[in-house]
Amino acid sequence: MVFTSFNFLIFFPILAVLYWITPSRFKWITLLAASYFFYINIKPVYAFLLAGVTLTTWLFTVLIAKTGNEQHKKLYLTINIILVLLPLFFFKYFGTFNNEVFTLMQAWNVRWPLPEMTLLLPIGISFYTFMAIGYTVDVYNEDIDVEKNPGILALFVSFFPLILSGPIERAGNMLPQFRKPPAFDYDLFVKGLKLALWGYFMKLVVAERLGMYVNAVYGNVEYHNGSSLLLASLIYPFQVYADLGGYSLIAIGVANVLGIKVIPNFNRPFFAGSMSEFWRRWHMSLISWLTDYVYTPLSFSFRRYKIWGIVLALMITFMISGIWHGAALTFVVWGLMQGVFLSTEALTNKRRSAFEVKYRLNRKTWYLIFTMVVTYFLFSISQIFGRAENLDDAFLVFRRIFTDPGPLFLGPPATFINGSIALSLLMFKDFTDEFYPGRFLLFENPGKVVRTISYSLVIILILLIGILDSGQFIYFQF
Amino acid sequence: MVKKIIINFLLVSATVFVLDFAIGRTLRYYYFLEDSGIHYRTAFSINNTTAEFLILGSSRATHHYVPDVFEERTGMSFYNTGRQGTGIFHQLAVLTAVLKRYKPEVIILDYAGDFRLGDNTYARLSSLLPYYREHEELRWIVEQKSPWEKIKLLSEIYPFSSQVQQIILGNLKFNKIREQDDRGYVSLHSRWEADIDSVDNLPKFGLDSLKIEAFTKLIRMAKEAGAKVFIIRSPIFCKTTWNDDVEICIRQSKAQGVPFWDFSQDTLFLNHSYLFKDPGHLNHEGALIFSGIISDSIAPYLKR
Repeated sequence: MVFTSFNFLIFFPILAVLYWITPSRFKWITLLAASYFFYINIKPVYAFLLAGVTLTTWLFTVLIAKTGNEQHKKLYLTINIILVLLPLFFFKYFGTFNNEVFTLMQAWNVRWPLPEMTLLLPIGISFYTFMAIGYTVDVYNEDIDVEKNPGILALFVSFFPLILSGPIERAGNMLPQFRKPPAFDYDLFVKGLKLALWGYFMKLVVAERLGMYVNAVYGNVEYHNGSSLLLASLIYPFQVYADLGGYSLIAIGVANVLGIKVIPNFNRPFFAGSMSEFWRRWHMSLISWLTDYVYTPLSFSFRRYKIWGIVLALMITFMISGIWHGAALTFVVWGLMQGVFLSTEALTNKRRSAFEVKYRLNRKTWYLIFTMVVTYFLFSISQIFGRAENLDDAFLVFRRIFTDPGPLFLGPPATFINGSIALSLLMFKDFTDEFYPGRFLLFENPGKVVRTISYSLVIILILLIGILDSGQFIYFQF
Repeated sequence: MVKKIIINFLLVSATVFVLDFAIGRTLRYYYFLEDSGIHYRTAFSINNTTAEFLILGSSRATHHYVPDVFEERTGMSFYNTGRQGTGIFHQLAVLTAVLKRYKPEVIILDYAGDFRLGDNTYARLSSLLPYYREHEELRWIVEQKSPWEKIKLLSEIYPFSSQVQQIILGNLKFNKIREQDDRGYVSLHSRWEADIDSVDNLPKFGLDSLKIEAFTKLIRMAKEAGAKVFIIRSPIFCKTTWNDDVEICIRQSKAQGVPFWDFSQDTLFLNHSYLFKDPGHLNHEGALIFSGIISDSIAPYLKR
């Protein structure tokens, strides 16, 4: 079951009513049952994997909490991380690894046929694996108390709004809310509905429409000229933003309706003036997870190398981020590019700041726009590796962009016109929220008539120009 | 609190209902007022045509069968109901609606190889949504799209979702020049210039039993209506290997005593770029030659 399916529109209201009439101390049971029902609806067999990850995490975190021996604690931590990562590695990377080994052996004239394995990636595995690891490390570091109730831990790992594509939540935020569910909060309930509605707009109207163009071009890279490839490459970041950002808003909104507060995942990323700021606004839950559990420990252990230690930690962190996205060289290059961008900023930070202060650039509109455009272009360039099927395609895209201009392919008029309208609406809202907060209010307007008409118009827009037969979200593949 | 939620919910629902009704009804009115373009051709196929000679198929049908050639050589009235991006269910729907009104004498199904599992054939049944209300006989086909179509169709806008531009275009005079059709046939006028010798790495895919069933049903219905039925695989620019679904098509056609003619690898067309607009579609020059061959081949089967 996915958020955009009609089944979900039936499932969720029923669950919300059931949840709110359930006595407080049993609410977690309702949510756990609903979460497993939600997950089983996608692929029943993978629920065993989810349960397995939950069970080992519960077992080893209880052992970590019980033992007073530091060496044992470390051992339990290591074992659990390995056990939790095993399914992820097996399903996500084994096939690629297998093929690479086979190719390598063939190159050395060794013929040892390995069984060809095409595994379907259990949906959401990358997300719940990170949540389980985060919880284990938090217990190990004694940042949070161990959860003795395996049911509540199971709910944290499988919580249905988050399991498929995040936001990657922290146990410290979620477990207390599951243990003692907050009382019904009307404002949070309404806020949740508004977020979900805007999330649906972002996904069905913006992401799907932009995706039609991007897929048409990137699906046949060899038949398109540089102009079309450039346009598709510039549109793709918006598509991902609307897709994952839309998913995140629906997830957060759904959780809010159930009285659960969830961390945000995006914060108007295209108004960032540098790559470091961009990554504080884009897929925030992943980056904050990587910062806490990878970057910070790494930069601490590399501290003797000073600034170069930071550079090394950044490169490794974003390499991991790339590999997390997919078992392909394109994602490794994508991660490396992010690492290079951020390292360059870290290395030039002092000089750049001094330059900006000297010429008072931070107060100049043209400079702010310039930095935003540069940031957006850098990210778009890196996303060519994120979108291309393989490295050859990615390099072909670059080659064509620089050497093969030509007439622009725009696709059917509906794609182009509706896509432009949708993207303009999304960016206008982000623009006003960023630079004119409190003005041009629609969903938050004090007038009830304006609010009601705004909700209704968004629903009508979804019906009118949304792609209602859409299926997957981009991040389901990760 | 609950009362407040219910009142607000009703308020938004009422506003959405009014807007949906007003916009949806307007779109419906103008949809059926179109006099050119893809909507018009589908509406004409389903509601109006009385042609003796009928072509069913996807875009390859639309661009490959020239009415004048068929009418001249067979002496029958002709209409090409092909519609781009549609599969066997759409073709079955057109035939079902046609047979409710009259019985054509000859039916050609241009087979484009669409028994594969997991493509977007079902999503593309949205082309039939505007007909759900008036055409009871098509409802079961539309419901193949999803089990919730009946509920979704409570919305007046839903059948016309993403169709606003096309509805506007279809009502404009200049669209008649832009997308001119001749009894459903739309000619293509440029030439394919890139080289593709062969495509032999076609991906493997599963077969969809519902589509095979729809194909069988279409042939059976056409035959029961007394029409002469021909299944034709029209030319493709490049060499391709057969897939499992072609074998099934041949088997089913044979089982029902219907001729299956495969022109996809005919050397008269193969790799002749001047006859193609793109690898899957003949240009007008190619369509004239192909239509001539087909009409001559069919003539002996007709008792006129």
